[in-house]
Amino acid sequence: MGLRRALARLAAAAEAPVFPVIGAGGRSVAGEIALLGGVRVVDSPRAANVLLVVGGITPGLLAPLLQVHDQLPTPRATVWWPGEPVEHQDLRTVLGEVVVARPGDGDTLRGVFAELVGGGRLSDPPALPDDEPAEWRGVGPYGQGGTGMTGGVPYGRPLAKRSPDPDGLELDQLPLRIGPMFPPLPPGLILDIALQGDVIREVAVGDNPFLGHPDGPAPAGLDTALFLEAARRPQPVATIELARARHHLRWAAGTLRLHGLASESLRVLRLARALRPEHALEVETLARRLRGRRSLSWATRGVGVVTPAQVGFGPVARAAGVAVDARLDDPAYDGIGFSPVVNDGGDARARLRQRLAEAAQALDLANRAGARVRQPGPALEGPRGPLSAGEALPSAALVDLLPRLLVGQEWGDAMTTVASLDLDLEEAAAGARAGAPA
Amino acid sequence: MAAFGAALTVVVAVGLGVLFTRWIGLALDSATLTPPERVPFLGGGQPEVHAWSRFHVRYYAMALLFLAFDMEMVFMYPWAVVFVEEGAVALAEMLMFIVILLLGILYAWREGALEWA
Amino acid sequence: MRWSSPLGAVVLVAGVLSAGAYVVAVLDVALGRLTAAGHLRLRHALRQPLDETALLLLTRPSRTERPDAQAWALAPALLGAMAAAAVATVPLGRGIAVADVADGIVLFGAAMAMVMVAVYLHGWSANSPMPLLGGYRFIALALSYEMPLALVLIAAALPAESLSVGAIVASQHDLWNVVRQPLGLPLYLIAGAGLAFWGPLDTADGPDLAGGTTAEVSGPSRVAWELARRFVLVAVAVMGAAVFLGGWQGPMLPGPAWMALKTLVLLAGLVWMAHRVARVRLERFVVVAWTVLIPLALVDVFVSGAIAL
Repeated sequence: MGLRRALARLAAAAEAPVFPVIGAGGRSVAGEIALLGGVRVVDSPRAANVLLVVGGITPGLLAPLLQVHDQLPTPRATVWWPGEPVEHQDLRTVLGEVVVARPGDGDTLRGVFAELVGGGRLSDPPALPDDEPAEWRGVGPYGQGGTGMTGGVPYGRPLAKRSPDPDGLELDQLPLRIGPMFPPLPPGLILDIALQGDVIREVAVGDNPFLGHPDGPAPAGLDTALFLEAARRPQPVATIELARARHHLRWAAGTLRLHGLASESLRVLRLARALRPEHALEVETLARRLRGRRSLSWATRGVGVVTPAQVGFGPVARAAGVAVDARLDDPAYDGIGFSPVVNDGGDARARLRQRLAEAAQALDLANRAGARVRQPGPALEGPRGPLSAGEALPSAALVDLLPRLLVGQEWGDAMTTVASLDLDLEEAAAGARAGAPA
Repeated sequence: MAAFGAALTVVVAVGLGVLFTRWIGLALDSATLTPPERVPFLGGGQPEVHAWSRFHVRYYAMALLFLAFDMEMVFMYPWAVVFVEEGAVALAEMLMFIVILLLGILYAWREGALEWA
Repeated sequence: MRWSSPLGAVVLVAGVLSAGAYVVAVLDVALGRLTAAGHLRLRHALRQPLDETALLLLTRPSRTERPDAQAWALAPALLGAMAAAAVATVPLGRGIAVADVADGIVLFGAAMAMVMVAVYLHGWSANSPMPLLGGYRFIALALSYEMPLALVLIAAALPAESLSVGAIVASQHDLWNVVRQPLGLPLYLIAGAGLAFWGPLDTADGPDLAGGTTAEVSGPSRVAWELARRFVLVAVAVMGAAVFLGGWQGPMLPGPAWMALKTLVLLAGLVWMAHRVARVRLERFVVVAWTVLIPLALVDVFVSGAIAL
């Protein structure tokens, strides 16, 4: 009909709403998605028309992916950036009309969207079978009845049960399993939360979906791949520090987006993409600007305090006041004026300042190091903590810390805390295999 | 009265207008959804219970405080209209009223009713 | 046509709200791009809201497993209707007012209180955890900003000796309230941003809840909700322009042009604030609203009262 065609012509010119799903090896490209022209990253699959899968899908991520795919409204399409090598599940066998493209290829993405809206491409059919996900057991015709005041399975799901609370009131406790593709959380993190009101009463970390592959995640796919490589082979100090600054800026962009500063986050991502050692002044200005942004300080002050006893390495410990840094014992950093940046407080605000300051410092070091090359041997300070042969990777310890940190926190604070720890579930899975990959 | 009538008309009309945008879309495409397409979004998992529950509204103490202040608002509205006529007496009386209520806020703040985590 | 006749009223209010909502959307895109990339791209910003609306109208509306379908459908309509009630009380020019009743401020306050109901319904009806949390967190915020909002409007009503918005505008013929009552406009804008759960006060639809009350909303339902939300923001700006910036009064240009200009200034300020100020921590904001904002608003009331005597 004429109205539909008119609307379709307008809609094809809109920015494609994309819901990204980051799989194995996809974290390094994740920072590029928001910067693609004509693409808008959205917070919920219901707001999206294109599902962008980046990286490989392990068996643990497959069922959630199919579920999220079905939660996109029609007209929907799926684009996959598998990267090399395609060793995990081939999505084309499970999802049908998946468009495979090179990572970072925004033109294919926009092309798929334009075809989808213009009518040249059919919408993806649902991936999961047309069955009720939960059986309507119970006594009555709507599944109600059974034991207890709220017994039975009305419309297929039970009702929440009451539970005591330190408040003194026994009200319902919602058990939630926020899955591996929940945007405020790092990709792959599954939390089993018991929520009473908007405060978290119990939390457990679900099984790491990146552990599905028999040999563990390929170290080349991690976003700290360059650092793992540098732990084994000689690398110029400038390259390492540049990668560190880029990593911290990308993390900062994610945090800014979580706190409602979406356009600022795009600006930081743009800076991170084009980062060179000459940009040290810009990064310093950015760090100062965000430090002075009082609303951001206000939103993160006192949230998620981590003491040095809980975590004794990496930016998390340095933000709690402990000057522990593997670069102190590294001869490659002698004589270029390196001293660890330290903040105090150990809360999310301190961690934000810490990483921004470290990014500025990293560029400064990259400028001063010149052509100096680092030899492998001593432990290498990665962006999350020290990487040395035979020891677990930093993310594993940080993930173990979560249950203790999150209990008793209100929802918004919990999301801020998780984001401020800079977790990578893939790195935690790689670290869970015996020590760092050789 | 005509003014209220006009306001009511406007309210109903805009409400219907907003509903109309929804109806345009529904008219264009109204197929049914499969059950997996209707699962609430939780990042890929299945929900274990219905979300409807006896939610623990932890800010109930603040809500009670709000009730008290809302009643104060009811008194301030007519006070604002006759204030200039009545002069300084009106100012003093309302000041006393407000100070008593402010003591309520102070108490609530010290007792921690304004924070709940 | 007479603006208090039914047809005239609907045309006026619908026109103001629609034009205002479009302006908000354009400003949002333009200021967002300015912050993100340093340039404006105005033509893109002018097209983008229309294109996005068209895309959403073509997308299928989502349903959840057991929602309250009627409430979910009516929530955006209620939100938009309350914005319309608010705009109806404001005179947009000399003699151009739909319902400049003797207690316009009270009507505005009542309409803005119903906003809380609309947002909560939108969150609750989906029967999904994220929207539910968004709805409840919004109520905590709403209960906190209602008081400063009502108090600063009362402070503006004191010199006018009347609760009607027209009288308040008339009382500013020699001096605008933003000068006479400096605390008024900042407090009003904070509370107003909360009313439309905009920017720093976006506890209902924020990214930390995966979209909050809009997490399960797609397609034309999303159009309805976002439109209604922008209507509320426009209503806040229109009322603010009337009560604090002198309304339709001003030299040379006709009344409605001045109203449009002043409303535009406030809208630009509100949209800019959304791109520059991080989202508040809910508990902290509640404490600040009750222990700082309400006392400031009360100071505003009493100082204005003392001056008006």
